[in-house]
Amino acid sequence: MLVLPVLLCAAMPYQRDPEKDTRAMLQANYLYNIAKLVEWKDAEMRNGNFVIGVLGGANLYQELIKQYSTRTIGRQPIEVRKLPRSASVDRCHILFVSREELTLLPAIYKNLDRQATMIVTEYPGALEDGAAVNFVHVDNLLKYELSIANTQKHGLVVGSTLKNLAHRVLE
Amino acid sequence: MSTALRIALLLCGLAPTAWATAQSDPLMDALRWFQTGELDSARRAIDHALDDPRTAGNPETWLLRGFVYKDLYKESPRPEEHTGMRDSAMVSLLRCLALDHEGVYRENAAQAYDFLARTIFNDAARALGVEQPEQARAHYRGYRAAMLRLDPNARLDERDVEFNNALGSLYNTMYIRDRTRTDLFDLAIGAFGASLELDPDNYGANYNMATLYYNRAVHAIRAVNAGDDIPTLQRIQEVSREFFQRALPFMLRAHELRPERPETLLGLENIYYSLGDEQRTDEYRRRYEAIVPLVPDR
Repeated sequence: MLVLPVLLCAAMPYQRDPEKDTRAMLQANYLYNIAKLVEWKDAEMRNGNFVIGVLGGANLYQELIKQYSTRTIGRQPIEVRKLPRSASVDRCHILFVSREELTLLPAIYKNLDRQATMIVTEYPGALEDGAAVNFVHVDNLLKYELSIANTQKHGLVVGSTLKNLAHRVLE
Repeated sequence: MSTALRIALLLCGLAPTAWATAQSDPLMDALRWFQTGELDSARRAIDHALDDPRTAGNPETWLLRGFVYKDLYKESPRPEEHTGMRDSAMVSLLRCLALDHEGVYRENAAQAYDFLARTIFNDAARALGVEQPEQARAHYRGYRAAMLRLDPNARLDERDVEFNNALGSLYNTMYIRDRTRTDLFDLAIGAFGASLELDPDNYGANYNMATLYYNRAVHAIRAVNAGDDIPTLQRIQEVSREFFQRALPFMLRAHELRPERPETLLGLENIYYSLGDEQRTDEYRRRYEAIVPLVPDR
């Protein structure tokens, strides 16, 4: 019985103070702006709520709720969902998978293959693996890189602004 | 009358026996009034003694005047409104020291002077407590000048650092309350910078400097909202990066000075995280967690 608290301690992920999680604040704004600069070709995705799913990234989820959940993308109200830790993901316009959930990604790429979901991640080599957008740090700044091939595969049309502002575009 | 003065006067032959032959001596009158606690009468008598050529040039006259005015200042209901008394006391004590070529009264006069100078420092501290930084600075300048009048070679670095750190903290508090007042941020930086010029190894000044820059950077990012487009976001990041980078050397120095303190480990973890340095973020997080183990929520 004495072992349990120790195990609980060891299993607890480090929880950064949300008020100091600058990366979450920046990522939330990027996701909102990216959503405004992408078109979903699938007609079904242009109706109902605009769903942003978050796997991991508790502070990013909080930031999206706090700053952007009352906004719209076009006429679609934004709905932010904190997803359970699983590779089976419901319909989302944007799915953000955080660094701590990378082990789920191979299955997620497979499950969402050719689905109208933009997968956004934050690890080196993500575009090559199948992500449409990947957050990277360049010169101590948070930027994003973009895979045109992966966006097209998911039925997304990316405007020139998003391309031009990207740190790297993989055609 | 204070023990110090009584002893000083006795030791120096200024006891009533010495003055018994001169009952009309204004210095003697002043001492008697002082002994009985009649401070206003003592003041009139001692001021009169200054007009009397027999006593005007005596160091003991100035010593007694210093003590009379010191007690008048101390016993006034609101001493802060009677700083003129304090000034008169200090001038008198300095005059005593200047005239006391034998050094007979030096210790007593210097002690009393030091006490009064410390009350000026306390006034500065009190002004900081009620968030009147300009008044605090004026009092502190007064304290400094007073100490240097007593000893032009006095080393006041430690006091300067103590005051500047407290002043910087106050400016920071005021800045946090109104982030549009970047002049307060600059003043806080200036105050901690002044401390570091005197004592580059001062832990508090290094840590506070780092925290100031770090918080400024975080606040700029926290202010990002839905109205900001991607180019704006990138400009905000560039400004914040500058502040994060400025924070870093101060936090590193604070950590070097006190490697056992968890707040500098967490501070470094936060700075490196915001600069996107994953390796160092992980390193400092591990070191922080080694000192402050995580406790699960209950």
